[in-house]
Amino acid sequence: MEISEQLRKICTTSLIFVLCISYLVCHCNRAKETTDYRIVSLSPAMTEILFALGSGNNIVGVTTFCDYPEEAKKIYKIGDFSNPSVERIVGLKPNLVILNLPEQMRIKKQLERLKINIFVSSPSSLDEVYEEITEIGKIVKREHNADSLVNYMRTNIVPVENKKKTNVYIELSPRPIVTIGKHSFLNELLELAGAGNVFADLNKDYPVVSQEEIIKRNPEIIILLHPENIEQRTGWGTIAAVKNKRVYADINQDYIMRPAPRLVKGFKELKRIILE
Amino acid sequence: MNKQLLIILIFLGAVLVSIIVGPAQLTSEIFQLRISRVVLGIFAGGMLAFCGGILQGLFGNPLVEPYTLGSASGAALGGSIGILIFGTINPVFAFLGSLGVGFFVFTIARIEGGLFRDRLILAGVVMSFLCSSLVMITMLMGGRELYEILYLLMGYLGIIINSTNRIMIIVLIAVSIGLMVFLYRYHRELDIISQGIETAAGLGINIQKLSITIFLATSLLIGLIVSIVGAIGFVGLVIPHISKLLFGPKHLRNLPASFILGATFLLLADTASRVITVYELPVGVVTSLVGVPFFIYLYRR
Amino acid sequence: MKALKVQNISFSYDTTDIIKNVTFSSEKGEFLGIIGPNGAGKSTMLRILCGILEPQRGNVFILNENIKDINQKSRAQKISFVPQETHFALNFLVEDVVLLGRYPYLSAFQRERKEDTEAVEHALAYANVMEFRKRPINSLSSGERQRVVLARALAQQPKILLLDEPTSHLDLHHQYAIMQLLKKLNAEGLSVVTVNHDLNLASLYCQRLLLMYEGTIYSEGTPQSLINNENLKHVYKTDVKIIKHPLKDVPQIFLHPEGE
Repeated sequence: MEISEQLRKICTTSLIFVLCISYLVCHCNRAKETTDYRIVSLSPAMTEILFALGSGNNIVGVTTFCDYPEEAKKIYKIGDFSNPSVERIVGLKPNLVILNLPEQMRIKKQLERLKINIFVSSPSSLDEVYEEITEIGKIVKREHNADSLVNYMRTNIVPVENKKKTNVYIELSPRPIVTIGKHSFLNELLELAGAGNVFADLNKDYPVVSQEEIIKRNPEIIILLHPENIEQRTGWGTIAAVKNKRVYADINQDYIMRPAPRLVKGFKELKRIILE
Repeated sequence: MNKQLLIILIFLGAVLVSIIVGPAQLTSEIFQLRISRVVLGIFAGGMLAFCGGILQGLFGNPLVEPYTLGSASGAALGGSIGILIFGTINPVFAFLGSLGVGFFVFTIARIEGGLFRDRLILAGVVMSFLCSSLVMITMLMGGRELYEILYLLMGYLGIIINSTNRIMIIVLIAVSIGLMVFLYRYHRELDIISQGIETAAGLGINIQKLSITIFLATSLLIGLIVSIVGAIGFVGLVIPHISKLLFGPKHLRNLPASFILGATFLLLADTASRVITVYELPVGVVTSLVGVPFFIYLYRR
Repeated sequence: MKALKVQNISFSYDTTDIIKNVTFSSEKGEFLGIIGPNGAGKSTMLRILCGILEPQRGNVFILNENIKDINQKSRAQKISFVPQETHFALNFLVEDVVLLGRYPYLSAFQRERKEDTEAVEHALAYANVMEFRKRPINSLSSGERQRVVLARALAQQPKILLLDEPTSHLDLHHQYAIMQLLKKLNAEGLSVVTVNHDLNLASLYCQRLLLMYEGTIYSEGTPQSLINNENLKHVYKTDVKIIKHPLKDVPQIFLHPEGE
C-alpha cells in the first residue's frame, strides 16, 4: 500500500511537472513570437513610424534611404528605395515586409510569389496616413502608441483660421525643372496651411514643367527642395515670390514628403513660411 | 538665288514665331526667356545639322549623324556620373564624358592599320552601346534622377539661364562658331571624298589626317552642344539630306543651308512643344515625331 | 629627265607580298603600258606611283623628286590618277566634278580663279565632254562618265597621267575614244602610264610595256620585243597566236579555241 501511494505521488508530481514545463515552453514561444517580430521596411516613412511606435528593434532590414532616426542608419541595408534586393530581404527571414506602392510594385509581386507577409503603404491623404499608422500599430501590437501618435498628428495638423489661399510653387530639382503635381497628402498639407500648389492640376506625381508656365502661374511663395539659388534666373524677376523675396530653401524635404510623424514639423514649417 | 532667300525668310519667320508664341503673355521678362530659347535653338539646331552634314560627307554614309561617334551616350554617361557625385546633372561632367568617349573611340579606331575612317564608325557604335548600358545601370541605381538623365538624353531648350551660366554659354557658343568655321573650310575635301577615297588621295588629300582633324573638331563641337542642351535627335541626321535635296551636292552651299534649316526646324519644334503641353516636353520628341513624315514627303518628290 | 623612277620598292598587305623589290623608270613623254595577269601587282604599282599607297621599302621619284619629300598637294599638281571606276555618291554637275580637279591648286577658303575656270574649260574640251557640262554626272553613261573623270584628271594639269584599266567596262566606241585621247595628250608631251588588261590595245598604243608577274617585272620593252609566245606562255599560262597588226608594226594576240 505504501508503494502504490508513493507511485501515485510520483505520477501526479511528474504529471504536474510535465504540464508546467509544457505550459512554460508554449508561453515562452508565444512571447518570442511577439517580441521576435522581424520586419523589413522598404519605406523610409514607415521606418520612422515604427521607431516612433517603439518597435525599432523589430526592424531587421531597411533601405539606404531610411535615415531617421539615427538608429535606423545602423540597421542592415537591403538596397535602395527603387531597387531593394529581394535576396537580401529573403535572407533576413522576415515575417513582415513593408513596402510602398506604386514605386515598389515589382518587389511586391516577387515577395508575394515567395509567400512573404506584406504590408503595403500608399497613403494618398492624411486620413490614410493615420489609418496606416493605426493598422501597423495593431500588427506590431503597439495599439496604444499608435493611437497616441495619430492623436498627436491630428491635433497638430489642423487647418489655419485665415481663409486666404496663398499660391505656392515647390521645386524639387532645377535640371530639368521638376515640381509636385497632384501629390496627395502634400497638397492637403498645403491647403491646411492656407496655401495651394500652383501645379495641383497636373495629374503626374512629379511633372517636369517649363519656366514660362511657372512665370504664368505667378506663385506668391517658392519653396526649393534643392540647394540651388534661383535669384539670378532670367525671366523670373516678375514672379511675385521673387519680387517679394518669398523664396525659401530651408525646409527639410523629408518633413513634408514622408507620410510620417515629422509631417507635424513639416506642417509647422509650412505654416511659418506661408503665414509670414 | 530664290531658294536661299526663301530659307532665310523662313528662318526669320521661325525666330519671330518662337518669340511671340507661347503660353505666357509676352512681357519683357518672358521675352528674355524666349530669346534665350531662340539662341539655344539656333545654336543647337544649326550646329547639329551642320555637323551631320560634315560627318555624312566624311564617312560617305547617309546614315551617319552627330551621335554615331558616341558623343551623346558619352555625355549621358558623364552626366549620370555627375548625378551620382553631385546629385544633379553637371554640364562639365557631361562634356567630359563626351570627350572621354571620343577619346576611346579615337583610340580604338587607331588600332592596327586599316582605314581610320571606317573603323571610327564601328568604334563609335560599339562605345555607344557600352555607354548606354552603363547609363542604364546608373539609372537603375537612382530614383528621381531618372528624369534628369532622360532629359539629357532627349534634349530640351528650356534650361535655366542665370547670370552665372549666361556668360559661360555665350563663350561656348562663340567657341562653337569658331569650330564650325574651321570645319567649313573642308567643304571641297568633302565634295571630293564623295567621289571616292582613291580619287581623294589622288588629288592630294590625306584621308587619315583629315579624318582625325574632322573627328576631333566635330567631337568637341558636339560635346559642347550636348552638354548644354542634351542630345536632341533627328536634326543632325535628316536636315543634311533635306539640304542636299534642296541645294545640291556642293558642300559649299549645302552646309550653310543645313545650318539655317536645322535652326529653323528646331525653333519651330520647340515652339510647338511649348504650345502642346504645360509640361516641358523634350524637344527631341517633337523633332522626331514631326520630322519623320515631313522627311518622307520630301524624299518622294 | 625621267618622269618616274622607282627604286627597290616592296609593298605588302598584311602578310602577303604584293610588290617584291621592283626597280624601273619611265622617260618623260613616254606612253607606258603595264600589263600582266591578275594579282601580278599592276594596280598596286600604279597606286604606289601616284602616292596613294606607300611602299614599305624603297623610293619613288616623280620628276626627280622623292615622293616622300613633296607635300601631297604639290604631288597632285604633277601626277594625276584615273581609277578604273568611279562611283558618284552625290550627283554633281559635270563641270563641278571637273572643277574639283583644281583642288591641288586651291587653298582652304580660296575661291576659284580665272586660271582654274580656264583649266576646266580646256579639260572639258579635250575630253570631249563639253556638251554634258551642265548635266548631273549620274545621268551619263559609264563611258561618258569615264571621260568626265579623265577631264577631272586633266584639270589637275599634271605632267604625268596614270590610268587604271581605262577601257574595261567600255564599249568599242568609248574604248577607241579614250585611247585616241590619250594618244593625243601624249603627243603633246604628257607622260602616260596605263594599266591595261587588253593586250592588243596596249600593244597598239603604248611605246613601251612593263610585263608584271607575281610582284616583279618579268620583262620590259617595246611591244614588238616583249609580246612573244614565251613570255605570254610563262606569265599567262596560255597558248596564243601572235600576228602583226595589218596597219601597224605591232604584235596582236589571237586566242584559239581548243579542239578546232
